Amino acid sequence: MQYNVTVIGSGPGGYVAAIRCAQLGFKTAIIEKYDTLGGTCLNVGCIPSKALLDSTEHYYNAKTHFSTHGIDIPEPNVNFGQMIKRRGEVVKANVDGIAFLMKKNKIDVHHGVGSFVDKNTIRVTDKEGKESTITTENVIIATGSKPTPLPFAPFDKKRIISSTEALVLKEIPKHLIVIGGGVIGMELGSVYARIGSKVTVVEFLDSLIPTMDGTMGKELLKVARKLGIECHLGHKVTALENKGKEVVLKAESKDGKVLELKGDYCLVSIGRRPYTEGLGLEKIGIETERGQIKVDDHLRTSVPNIYAIGDVVRGAMLAHKAEEEGVMVAEQLAGQKPHINYLLIPGVVYTWPEVASVGYTEEQLKSSGRAYKTGSFPYKALGRARASMDTDGLVKVLADKETDEILGVHIIGARAADMIAAAVTAMEFRASAEDVARMSHAHPTYMEAVREACLAATANRPIHL
Amino acid sequence: MAIQMKVPTVGESISEVTIANWLKKDGDVVQPDEIIAELESDKAAFELPAEAGGVLRIIRKAGETVPVGEVICEIEPNGKAAAPEPAKSAPAASAAAEGPKATGEVKEMKVPAVGESITEVTISTWLKKDGDFVKLDEVIAEVESDKATFELPAEATGILRIVAKEGESLSIGGLICRIEVMEGAPAPAAPKANAQAPAAARQESASYAAGHPSPAAAKILDEKGISPQQVKGSGVGGRITKEDAVKAEVRPGGAAEAKPAVPAPTGDRVERREKMSSLRRTIARRLVSVKNETAMLTTFNEVDMKPIMDIRSRYKDKFKEKFGVGLGFMSFFAKAVAAALKEFPGVNAAIDGDEIVYHDYCDISIAVSTPRGLVVPVIRNVEKLSFDQIESEVIRLATRGRDGKLSIEEMTGGTFSITNGGVFGSMLSTPIINPPQSAILGMHNIVERPVVKNGEIVIRPIMFVALSYDHRIVDGRESVSFLVRVKEMLEDPGRLLLGI
Repeated sequence: MQYNVTVIGSGPGGYVAAIRCAQLGFKTAIIEKYDTLGGTCLNVGCIPSKALLDSTEHYYNAKTHFSTHGIDIPEPNVNFGQMIKRRGEVVKANVDGIAFLMKKNKIDVHHGVGSFVDKNTIRVTDKEGKESTITTENVIIATGSKPTPLPFAPFDKKRIISSTEALVLKEIPKHLIVIGGGVIGMELGSVYARIGSKVTVVEFLDSLIPTMDGTMGKELLKVARKLGIECHLGHKVTALENKGKEVVLKAESKDGKVLELKGDYCLVSIGRRPYTEGLGLEKIGIETERGQIKVDDHLRTSVPNIYAIGDVVRGAMLAHKAEEEGVMVAEQLAGQKPHINYLLIPGVVYTWPEVASVGYTEEQLKSSGRAYKTGSFPYKALGRARASMDTDGLVKVLADKETDEILGVHIIGARAADMIAAAVTAMEFRASAEDVARMSHAHPTYMEAVREACLAATANRPIHL
Repeated sequence: MAIQMKVPTVGESISEVTIANWLKKDGDVVQPDEIIAELESDKAAFELPAEAGGVLRIIRKAGETVPVGEVICEIEPNGKAAAPEPAKSAPAASAAAEGPKATGEVKEMKVPAVGESITEVTISTWLKKDGDFVKLDEVIAEVESDKATFELPAEATGILRIVAKEGESLSIGGLICRIEVMEGAPAPAAPKANAQAPAAARQESASYAAGHPSPAAAKILDEKGISPQQVKGSGVGGRITKEDAVKAEVRPGGAAEAKPAVPAPTGDRVERREKMSSLRRTIARRLVSVKNETAMLTTFNEVDMKPIMDIRSRYKDKFKEKFGVGLGFMSFFAKAVAAALKEFPGVNAAIDGDEIVYHDYCDISIAVSTPRGLVVPVIRNVEKLSFDQIESEVIRLATRGRDGKLSIEEMTGGTFSITNGGVFGSMLSTPIINPPQSAILGMHNIVERPVVKNGEIVIRPIMFVALSYDHRIVDGRESVSFLVRVKEMLEDPGRLLLGI
């Protein structure tokens, strides 16, 4: 065999798995279909969207908050071309970084589409159609996911677009219609709302970011409306058509009222589906279930030397979840016994304010019948938030009614994405709300809101409320 | 006026008890006859019921040894606590009013299938009492199978109605208890929290995470094949830190540092931890104290069992026919011992302080192995009993022992002990004295051995016998002569008849 481990796909799951394998002494190869490494996350997902989110947030602040801060500047203009260019530079720096890491760890990179010949042989077909063959003891499939299209209106990539196109538009949309008020829809909706697009979100369920705690959705709706985003919740899209210069969308509310929207672009962000095309899974008998590759608790597929991680398997489609799984498989191959606590994989929405959450939602606790208590603390009452004028949002802590153990932490507010790590730490150690409340938190910081919410959860005794 | 509760007299010769466990906390409100503590004597464990209703004030802590008659706690009658301070009782009352509401549903809890080949279990301990409020998943009882002990969690929240009593054996699927299902939180939670020392409350609240390994610790333990239950967490609230997990490799007493070269074992290496039963703890404590506090040594001899075996084979049918009980070896040994004890009264005596207590009667303790551990019921006045009386007494006591029904009286006051390791195949052993007695006879298996009789090698059924004795009171001459006398009488049972 040429390799101990071959990883198919170089997204955050794949490249992290490859590095960990190399660290553990395995001869490792990685196969990537595209020219650059890093997968969706680095090329057309997390990283470029954050680049645009930050650029547009700066613009938005300059336009709306600077004068209050005492900074008088002429009316700022959006140089959209530069924003897109900078976003490209950020992406390039990151994917080059991955290429360097592959080299540093002596991981062989094979560009092309990987396809199973048998369980130990993979054929790689590059762009020119040249074929080569890799033999390997173990395989980690990390081919990720693709945006799900509407069944009646596939992506035309011109006006009916996915997140990929939304990150490289040539112009600022006049009216961007967003189907799906989940993480991707709300992030990209925010990007364009800040730089002048009219943005309308149509969501099938009755709440934005519906998989997260209900309070988060409610608060996000408030801040989205403040930003001028129009939200139609509980609406089912029935028709979507590219009329050349515009798209026309028809949706129906639960009580049968018809909504018609016209815009120049429509972002369809209703979810993502596992991507396994061209792998030849059926040839070697790897089972799938609704597109997902079936794996056991050790991420092993139905073929014993082949593992699968990240978006192609069950669980949340998150880069950091894929990374954990990549590490887990690599360490298992080395005979170690790592754990993943799936409950404690945090979820983040990079709107402003950000939303971040970990553990159980209040809805989950209610339906499971667990006795719990809640503690909330608003950013409004936080000195740090007032100083920076980021007073939207709150921290909500859910704790076990008897033991006071923290069961869930949900934050909407400035810097929530970074703050949630502290909640994960506390929960990995099964801290109680009082434990966190009794730890010193630097003043003035946003994290004080977490401590105050813990005080509120412990015995309803926040200090600053 | 507070009622002082003293250690009750639980049996003759028991002068002190150990408080094994307070079932109620200081400051708890207790009902008359409610069990508030578990006490242990050197003979058995028993429960202490409240002598009155009121607020418990604990004076002696768990683990303390208290002489009979001394005060261990006080109970302040309700009147004193409640009447002059209505403010204090009000929240309790309102809490009770807002407490859980019955739903009318009754959950029947049955014996779960705990493992293949296990067909029945025994309720070893009820951790909750009949009528107690129990929460879902709270451990309410300890259940024993012949393989292991396990905990029984409540299958619902509500009032416990016990069906199967402690010690009762149930087959899989048998009804253990009923829970009258209720909704809402238990009422006593609130008063408990603000009434008592905050330190205790905090300790309690931290304990839910005891034994929870940190992420790194979890990985390390799993790789070592050690379950978190086997590790004592040194972190906050008993959490298992990475350091605990790293050190978990170090087996107590083992030379750990030298081990890394040894390849990791591949088979299952599951360990199991169970709390020692009160009886086991008592046995452990007493055996060690005998070793430490007496000058014990053992003398040996061998007995040619042929004469007794001949008598047995000749008369066992007639004996059984007449008395309804089999003719065993125990009656011969008991009679021989009783006769020898008469000749060597020191062996039948006990030390009490500066005095020696001689017994003119022979109360012989017989060691009986039971599922719960070793017990030693007493056959009284063996010197006056006939063979059949001894045999039926042995059977009666052994049966009661196995059923766990022996009373403290039946296990108290022996003057000498006989233990028979031979039933398990023991060739030779050094038994440990049963205090305050001064000697114990060990019987062993009967094996055909070549022996020399009248200058010829013959094959005889031989039993080695051992006498462990307390050299403080019995000298070598006495002990050896005693054992020789026993041997003589067993090898020539006619001597038993004639007393020579």
